[in-house]
Order: sequence, then structure tokens, then C-alpha cells
Amino acid sequence: MATIELPVRRTSVGHGGSALSRAVSDLSRMGHDMLRSRELLYQLTRRDVTIRYKQAVMGFGWALFMPLLIVFSGLMVQLALANFSGRALSPAGLGGMAIKAVPWSFFVGAIGFATSSLVANMNIVTKVSFPRAVLPLSAVGAQCFDSGIAFIALAILLPVIGAVEATWALLWVPLLLVLLLTFTTACALLLSCANLFFRDVKYIVQVLLTFGIFFTPVFFEPAMLGPRGATIAMLNPMSPLLEGLRLSVTLGHNLLEPLTTTMASGAVVTVWSPLYLLYAVVITVVGLPATVILFQRSQYAFAEYI
Amino acid sequence: MPVEPGIVFDAVWKKFQRGERHDSLRDLIPAAVRRFTRSGPASDELGENDFWVVSDVSFAVRPGECLGIIGGNGAGKSTTLKLLTGILRPTRGDITVIGRVGSLIEVSAGFHPDLTGRENVFLQGAIMGMGAANIRKRFDEIVAFAGVEEFIDMAVKRYSSGMNARLGFAIAAHLDPDVLIIDEVLAVGDHTFQQRAFTRLQQLTRSGMPVVIVSHQLDRVLQMCTSALLLKRGQVMGVGHPRDVIAQYFTGNTAGNDGEALKADAPYEIMEASISAPTIGSGEFLDVTITCRRREEHPLQGNESVGVALVSLAGATTVAALGTGSIPLPLPTHGVFRLDLRLQANVAPGPYSLDTWVWSTHDPTFRGPRLSLEVMPTILFDGAVQLNPTMSLTPIAPESFGANVRPRSDLAQKAS
Repeated sequence: MATIELPVRRTSVGHGGSALSRAVSDLSRMGHDMLRSRELLYQLTRRDVTIRYKQAVMGFGWALFMPLLIVFSGLMVQLALANFSGRALSPAGLGGMAIKAVPWSFFVGAIGFATSSLVANMNIVTKVSFPRAVLPLSAVGAQCFDSGIAFIALAILLPVIGAVEATWALLWVPLLLVLLLTFTTACALLLSCANLFFRDVKYIVQVLLTFGIFFTPVFFEPAMLGPRGATIAMLNPMSPLLEGLRLSVTLGHNLLEPLTTTMASGAVVTVWSPLYLLYAVVITVVGLPATVILFQRSQYAFAEYI
Repeated sequence: MPVEPGIVFDAVWKKFQRGERHDSLRDLIPAAVRRFTRSGPASDELGENDFWVVSDVSFAVRPGECLGIIGGNGAGKSTTLKLLTGILRPTRGDITVIGRVGSLIEVSAGFHPDLTGRENVFLQGAIMGMGAANIRKRFDEIVAFAGVEEFIDMAVKRYSSGMNARLGFAIAAHLDPDVLIIDEVLAVGDHTFQQRAFTRLQQLTRSGMPVVIVSHQLDRVLQMCTSALLLKRGQVMGVGHPRDVIAQYFTGNTAGNDGEALKADAPYEIMEASISAPTIGSGEFLDVTITCRRREEHPLQGNESVGVALVSLAGATTVAALGTGSIPLPLPTHGVFRLDLRLQANVAPGPYSLDTWVWSTHDPTFRGPRLSLEVMPTILFDGAVQLNPTMSLTPIAPESFGANVRPRSDLAQKAS
């Protein structure tokens, strides 16, 4: 029997090393675990996608239905605003709203499924040993698949209605999508873990996701809130990502340059500042490792507290 | 030097909490803050609502060894296995596991009812740590083992519970781990499948990998394990040869071989007991000697009887109980005396425990030493009961056969 390289698992109570070295070891262990569990991650994602559309007559049509519903409600809001201000609906305005609606529906869907992912899989969490992070991650993965369909539809539709400025600024899109995915993953890890310990989290998340669309510039643009309101609205970590997508795609704006607009009242409002991009990057770059460490340290208590 | 797969449990303790954790928001918020900020280990002392579900358990399992963990419900067996697989973390102590662990615990836990059998094999396999390539390679084998070939593309929710369990077991049984952990999965499916599953497990345990089994089927523990561990309320009550540990579990005699008064006013006490031989053939005679003392400070309750109970460890049943009261033989009312019993071991071969007892009006009042007895098969007795046969042979002349009795040449040919 070849027993040259066997995995060794030592479980002891004591902790050694400095806070930094422990943080690094937590991060590397999570990375290593996820790499080793990619097969499981794939199977769970596949399961989540499959069961979502099993016994559903519309099947994958549902993947388009949700974002479409958000786009249509956005259309209503835009129409009302256009009527009120006396300005006509522009393809860029519509496209800008649609390009923010799809990422938003991705975020809502992913967080909704991920929050309850650990508790919903209680039977395996308490019975089988595996890296627990695969559960929230597969919920995000399944939503990626869903929203991927909507993104493709969007990529076809937007140029057709003439809402895309073909400039180099389009290169910002992949970066923004990566940031969106990273931010969503961090939220998914944090919320699934918190919901395991306190079931209140699920209800808080439900309420926040329902009303979040009013606090996030999806149907409106931050500039409509006035100079101070715009800055406050951009503090929402989702705002720079959504606004960045809108500006780079529909206006061809380079995100490294600021952009201002003058309101009818004469006030000058900052529409974009490179600081917003920095803010989004810092939030995700700090947020993901922090939630990974938190998750890594608390996952040993999952089976006991669930 | 190559490292051998194995398990070491070194003075492991695990604390659980009774009841709800937080009764009010006032308790909850500080607790939540502490839980998320605390980096060090949790307190390893008992709080007022805590109890030890596993306390100071140590054992080691090396290649070729199979440890059976036995004990009543709530003794801490499953918690021990969860600590072993890494699902739970110990409060104190160290656990070392070398090698990939394959656990046959709740073998169909990961099944999703809406997915087909095929999809579930891949899903459950992945949950248990099996690669897709490996599953694909052994897929047919798994399905054939479970015997669900014709239903493999049907949703698992339409499976019978037996089919469900069989498929789960089949996946787990094809894991190829370095270390195997089995929790009460021996009673899965119908009789035929149980036999197949048992054979497979024996194959795995005999392949030389370290195995830990939790089971209430004591006869299986006896058949498969090289050693056993008895748990009671999280504590190790005994460890050693399965026969001895099962005997100990069975009689509940935790104080070893010393006698113990079950009632403080037991009028007789057993001081010593012995048997003529620890191993005898089935149907042979056995001498038991019991030394007793009358505890004169306690009044007689009437119908006192000193005797033995013969307990089959394989069947986990008392097969016989007899004493002086069954004759009846009046016991001396004072002093020390000796009782000689001669028993014919008309019992099936296997391990037994011969327990000595004092009864007063049929209630056990004093438990004496427990004696271990191994009954071996003999030519006369191999089976479950002794039929005391008498046989005779009488030659019959061929001409007394009727015309319809002929030698069966066709059978004779088949036999050759």
C-alpha cells in the first residue's frame, strides 16, 4: 500500500503565532480548501441550477423573467420622471437603467439564496465534513449562471437600441463585474455565517433586499439627489459599481476622470470621481479577506450551533 | 519513513450546552460581539448550563485494527465520531487523523429529492470527497451494488426508502479512503442487501485500514472488531477485547469484578466466584463455585436465592437464570458458606457472561462477580439448540422393497 503522502489533520485547542500569521494561514487554508473542493463546488452549483428549474414549465425562461421585471419597473419610473421633468426618454437613459438593473438582480438573487444556504443544508453540515464555504459560494455560482443569461441578452439588446458608446471605456466593464462578484461573495460568506448563528439575519436581509432598490441608484441617478445627496448615495458600496457600469457603457466615460453635471438650479453635482472607484476597490479588497477569515474561524462551530 | 494511516484521540473533552443559549436580547448582543471578536479558544471550563458530552476519551487505531465503540443512547458515541471526522472541534485535547477519512455516517444525507439517482451519485460522491473521474470510473459498480440499475434516471423522491439508503451506502462503500468510520449503517436495506453490505465492510476492514465502528448490533461488533470501547455519559467505562467490553456493557458492571450491593439491606453478599474452565465445549459440564456471606445486620426478606444468569453476548440476551430458590434449597441463616453448581452448557457456541446474583423475592439485591465464558462448537452441538439426538441404523433386505422403490440413477449421476 502506498502511504507516502497522506493528509494529516491535527485538531488541537491551542492557537499559536501572531494575529497576522494566523490571518495569513486562515486565508491560505480557505484558498487551498476551495481549490481542493472545486469538484464539490461545481456539483453543488449544478444542483442549485438544476433544482431551480426542475418541474418549472418556463424553465430557464425564469432566468430572464426576474431581471426583465426589474427593467420594466425601471421603465415605469423613468417614464414618470421624464413626464415630470419634460425631457424625452433617451436610449442612453433606458440602457443605463437596464445595465444597472441586471447586476442588481444578480446581487439580490445571490444574497437571497446564499444567506440561507448553510441552514438549508443543515443535514449535510451536521453529518459530513467538508469546507463549508462551498455552500454560500455555490449559491453565488448558481446566480452567476442565471444572471449570465440575462447579461448575454443585455449585450445583444443594448447595441441594438443604440445605448452603447463603443469606446475604450468598455474595458472597465470586466473589472467592475469582478468587483461586483467579489463584493457579492464577501456578503454571501458573511450573511450565511451570521444567519446560521442568528436566524434574525434572514428577515433583515429580506427587508433590506426588498427596499434596497430605493437606496441604490438603479432606477434613478445619484445626481438627481443634489450635490450632497449624490455623495451620500455613492457611499452604498453597490453604487460605484452600478454607476461605473452605466457611465463606461452608455457614456463611454473613463472612470479615472471625474465627471460633473450642472443641475437646472445651477448647482454643480459630482457624477463620478476616481475616488468612488478607489472606494469600491478598497471595500472589496478588504471585505473579502475579512469575511473569509471570519468564516474560516467560525465554521468549526457550525455543526454545534446550527 | 512512510507514515501509516491512523487515528489518535488524546484526552479529548467536548462540552455541550443545555437548553437555549440566549433568552433575551440583553444576553445576545454581548455574546454575539464576543463570538465575532474573540480569537482565542472558547472557555474550556463548564458553565452552569454546560455538560461534558465526551470527557477524557483517549484511544488510538492503527492499520489492521478495528475499534468498536459501544454504549447506550446519549453515551457520546456519535459525538466522538463527529469529533473524529472534524465536524466538531474538541473543547480540550488533541485529535490526529492521518489519511483521508471515509465516513459511512448518514450515507444519503446529501441526496436532493428532485435530482435523479445518477445526479445524486455525483453530488453525494463530491460531498464525500470523491473526484468526478473516480465516480465516473466506478459508477456502474456503485449502481450495481445498490441494485437500482433500472431506476437510476428517476428522481430520488420516487425511490423507496430502502433504495435510497442502498444507493447512499453503495456510494460510501466505494470511497477508497485510508481510514474508515462507520456509524450504525449496518442495518440498511433488506436482508440480502444487509448481507452484501456486511460482506463489503468486512472486505474493507480486512484490507488493513484502520476502522472505527459505532453500532448497537453487538454481534457485528464481536465479528468485526479487534477491540472495543465502552462509553457511558461521555466517559470511557472499559476498553479491551470486544467480548469482555460487551460483557461489561451488558451487565452494566462498571466496578470490574467486585461485588456490589444493589440494595443497601441485601441480606446476602457474594464474596467470591469461580468457574472450572473459561472455555468449554458445547454440551459439556461446567462447575461454578460461589462463596457467600450472610449479612446478619440486615433482616431476611424471604425467598432468598443465590445463583447465576447466563448471558449470550452475541445475541445480547439472558439465555438462562437459575439459583438455589429454583430447587428450592434453603440458605444458611448465618455465617459464610459455599455453593457448588454443576451446569451442562447446553447452549449454542459463542461468548457468554456468567453473572452471579443474589435475589430476594425475585428482585436482584446483590450483584456478584461476572465470569467470562467461551463456549466452543463440538461435534455433538453446532447450531442454536441441543436436540439430544438418539440415532440407530437397521439394515433392510432388498427384497422387502416395494415395486415402486428403485434406486434413483438420475440423482446418482447428478451427484457425481
